[in-house]
Amino acid sequence: MQSKKILKILRPIIEIFYAFFSIFILIFLLLYLSDANFSLAFKGFVNSSIGGRNNAYLFSTLSKMALISGMAIAALVAFRGGLFNIGGEGQLVVGGFACAFTGLLVSDFGFIGILISIISGMLAGATWAILSGFLTVYMGVPLLVGSLLLNYPARFITSYLVSHPFRDVQSGLPQTFLLSKNVWLPYFPNTRLDLGILIIFFVYVICLIIFYYTKHGYHSKNMGHSLSYVKLSGLPTKKIVFKTLALSGAIAGIVGSIAVLGIHHRFTDGMLVQPLYAWTGIIAALLVNLNLWFVPLAGFFFAAIYTGAAGMERIAQVPKEIATVIQAVIILFVVGKLGSLTNLSSSKGDKDD
Amino acid sequence: MTEIFDPEFFSSIARLTTPILLAALGGSICHRAGIFNIGLEGFILLGAFMAVLGSFFANSAFIGALTAVFGGLFLSIIFAEFHLRRKGDPIVISIAINILALGLSTYLLRSIFKVSGVFSHPEIEKIPHIQLPIIENVKILDLLINDQSILFYLSIVIVFILHYFLKYHKFGLWIRVVGENPEVLKSSGINPVRIKFLVLLLCGLLCGLAGAQLSISNVGLFVENMSAGRGWIAVVAVLLCGGRPIPLFLLIILFGLVDSLSLRIQGLGLPQQITELLPYIVCLAVLIIVSYKKLRTFSRIIY
Amino acid sequence: MKISLRDITIDYDNLRAIDDLSLEFHEGEIHALVGENGAGKSSLMSVLYGLNLNYSGKILFNEKEIIWSSPKDAIQHGIGMVHQHFMLIDELSVLENIILGYEPDDALGFINFAKIQTGIKALLKLYDINMNLGELVTNLSVAQKQMVEIIKLLFRNAKVLILDEPTAVLTPNETEMFFKTLRNFKLEKKIIILITHKIDEVMSISDHVSILRNGKLINSSKLKQTTKKNIEEQIVGKKLPKLNLRRGIIEEKKILEVNSLRLSTRFSHSQPIDLFIKQGEILGIAGVSGNGQNELIESILGVRKVLSGSIEYLQEDITHKSTRYRRIKGISFIPQDRRKDGLAIKSKVWENVITINLSDQKFSIGPFVKKKSIKNYANQLINEYSIKVDNPNSSVLTMSGGNMQKLVVARELSNNFPLIIIENPTWGIDVGSIAFIHQKILDIKAKGAAILLVSNELDEIEVLADSAVVMYEGKISKRITKDTKFRENIASKMLSGVHFTENING
Repeated sequence: MQSKKILKILRPIIEIFYAFFSIFILIFLLLYLSDANFSLAFKGFVNSSIGGRNNAYLFSTLSKMALISGMAIAALVAFRGGLFNIGGEGQLVVGGFACAFTGLLVSDFGFIGILISIISGMLAGATWAILSGFLTVYMGVPLLVGSLLLNYPARFITSYLVSHPFRDVQSGLPQTFLLSKNVWLPYFPNTRLDLGILIIFFVYVICLIIFYYTKHGYHSKNMGHSLSYVKLSGLPTKKIVFKTLALSGAIAGIVGSIAVLGIHHRFTDGMLVQPLYAWTGIIAALLVNLNLWFVPLAGFFFAAIYTGAAGMERIAQVPKEIATVIQAVIILFVVGKLGSLTNLSSSKGDKDD
Repeated sequence: MTEIFDPEFFSSIARLTTPILLAALGGSICHRAGIFNIGLEGFILLGAFMAVLGSFFANSAFIGALTAVFGGLFLSIIFAEFHLRRKGDPIVISIAINILALGLSTYLLRSIFKVSGVFSHPEIEKIPHIQLPIIENVKILDLLINDQSILFYLSIVIVFILHYFLKYHKFGLWIRVVGENPEVLKSSGINPVRIKFLVLLLCGLLCGLAGAQLSISNVGLFVENMSAGRGWIAVVAVLLCGGRPIPLFLLIILFGLVDSLSLRIQGLGLPQQITELLPYIVCLAVLIIVSYKKLRTFSRIIY
Repeated sequence: MKISLRDITIDYDNLRAIDDLSLEFHEGEIHALVGENGAGKSSLMSVLYGLNLNYSGKILFNEKEIIWSSPKDAIQHGIGMVHQHFMLIDELSVLENIILGYEPDDALGFINFAKIQTGIKALLKLYDINMNLGELVTNLSVAQKQMVEIIKLLFRNAKVLILDEPTAVLTPNETEMFFKTLRNFKLEKKIIILITHKIDEVMSISDHVSILRNGKLINSSKLKQTTKKNIEEQIVGKKLPKLNLRRGIIEEKKILEVNSLRLSTRFSHSQPIDLFIKQGEILGIAGVSGNGQNELIESILGVRKVLSGSIEYLQEDITHKSTRYRRIKGISFIPQDRRKDGLAIKSKVWENVITINLSDQKFSIGPFVKKKSIKNYANQLINEYSIKVDNPNSSVLTMSGGNMQKLVVARELSNNFPLIIIENPTWGIDVGSIAFIHQKILDIKAKGAAILLVSNELDEIEVLADSAVVMYEGKISKRITKDTKFRENIASKMLSGVHFTENING
């Protein structure tokens, strides 16, 4: 039985090597297809993610990390409670737009204006999430599809709003007017890194408290493990569902607000959708097996890949979409270890009786 | 009124229905086999790109269709490896595949064709259309189903083949069994994993063709993120119909109709985003109606 | 024909399921394999059937060693198994279920349904079995479903029939008919292996008895050479603890009243349900599982809609109140499926003792939980109920079935609520835990609780209930009060096809 024991210890190591090996082969293949200079590409990648003059690139990574981590937390909050809300993109977009819209209205209020704008983004995101909750609880629409389908109205309606009625025509792009400097998120001293990451850290801590110290945290978690148990025990399942979704949507709204107030200072059509923040957030949450403690790590990891790839494009002309490919492949390799995350996938739909 | 419901409207229905139908057929085989594959969006997208790739370099639409199928099969094998062999969650895998296809197709577009956004070239061969001489005389049928891509006719044929296949063929029976309870299949001496693998391959094939219909049938170009949500509509359609081919067919014709309508309305001066929204609103509405009716029949209270 | 198992050992990770076991089975014999839950009966048979290829030891078929590569291999050698949980697909027809894996098909693979129908009908005639081949399995009764399973075996020319708890789902009448079929198989010189825990049936039908305990073979002998008492003692290995039958008083006050309740079930001939439970009384609902008991409980708890009628609790109409309302008003529930309905199984022990009580001041301040108090409470329950677990922080998954059930029982009974609904509380757990839980139920009854006990084990009803009704196909029988003929009265009501037309104001 000695060989069995040795195999047991070796197995995970072999698996990790296999995964790394496969990913590197993939990267080489892709780089070859774009005629890139390998060493130049790698140097560009590393420098652009965590280096740069005065750590400029590192701050860029941290800025993205805030957004990705935030969306990961938003997804995690819902998934943990057994709610497969994949409508984060829609919630993010309505949150961002609401924030920009409000920001334009409160430009004279200074710091309070920032607060009001963020809150308005939160409310918008929460509302959008509650909408899909309503469809699930009262209309019987599976949350997965309901939340997903609502992404599209969110995208199209906000796109319309900034292409026509609220468009900054002079700028020539489908976007709102530039927000007044009064409502820009301040930067960390001597840097170009906005306070967004601080806000997300705040959200992170609040969620940790909710998960491990509040009633809702435990009710939600148990509901994620077994809806029938929670229902039969007499817990207010409908309320728990709406609370959880509202929190998830609100966090997405905060992320949208940070992108608007801290980075772009306006809402441009597609600015939140193109970089796939919501979807990256979802896979980041899955990467850490829905363990909130490790989300910042995953957020940083994916953000680094993102900015590194952008750098690779600048320096070695490698299309930055390589980042998306790498992230997807990583989650694929991890997925085998996660087991069944959704109770959905094992049944073909609700069976009555 | 006549501006909207002009001949262009009717002849577009079949064209717009085909990709969703093909993908949904692939998705419904997965559904019946108990594989929760919601990655159709990614399958179609990669298929669309691979179709343009093959058609351009080989100057042949047929090769284009072939490479599209390879694209679909490639994703099928990935799905199989991580779901069937490594027991990964199919929803997570589907999301990963959607993202992978988006990244890969855009990356290859930019690195192989050296363009961003759109690749269009006269040398891309398009899938030929078929003229049915008999139909020409019947005006309405002529508009609806004449002069359409081969894939359209193929998809209709597949609807019926699938229907009979599931009902009367040995393999069709196994697919239904593995979807209800794989243990039963196993205890009868048949390997459920093998059945599911073949099902995934079939799905990849059909979705690949769906992508080909998108990119090299009417037009001959590839746009970034070309599948544009059609895969998700196919997913919803499959869920609503429980993977049954004939109701699926009818439902998707409805979506094709709405799709065509939204295109015609764009010409009337309504903003583009609102008309693009129309298919999704209809999809959502149908989803809500069917789900609510189903909810009313349930005796158990879930939430 | 003879099958021998020699020195079989099966290990599941750290658990030794079967330990160096040797047995022989002969043709024309009904060989009963008995033992507690977890003794290893199913594990042993999974090896013989080819489902489990991970074992050491030998299987000999007429003195020739065989090694299965898959269940198909075993089937081709004539081994057939009817599992406790039917391997049938409800959505398919009887015919489709029977031919699965052995479909007669043409060159293209399409099934020749007509041809095979005639073939199977002939087979049915041979064994004098009645079955509608075109019927969907979901519409069949449980006994009929089991018959389909057996027809499957006959269709595949099984020479060895392994039957896992076949009579668990049959009424006494259906069991008799089943035994008649078994005796027919004996005459055809088949080997019949009967896995069961019903000793009475073992005594009436089997020729040979083998007793397993904790994966070991305790004894194997001809029926004539042993007695019922012997067998029982060998199964348990020690004397069963005697229950303290402190009965308590039954008050006149009706805690729960169900009036003319009509539910949506799959039973077409169901009648309105009437029943009541008095304070301090245990009302047993006897009957084979799947006759509407689950639906009745769901409607009392508020997770199932009622078509008409009313449910009154403490003289209040709760028919349309939410589950939450009912639970808070004082209804406890011990479900049958502890893993799905009774616990959040991936959570920790202490996270599973807080449900609606979390709002108590004892366990929370505002939105915040008082973890220490909760863990203390969990410890309290662990000690009081002798639950074997490392500490409240352990995951529930580390606990055995019996201990999991004890946790559920502890949580629910400690509320001291006026009404407790209990559903098959001792299904699938060891004898020691069963006795413990039974005692706790009697203790809480003595304190004045009203208890609705649904159970498919006649023994359990006999020991615990003050009165009982029988449930069959959605209908409730007349109330039977406890006296010397309690068990017989219940059993006789369980005869199949009874039409409960009597008035039920008993």
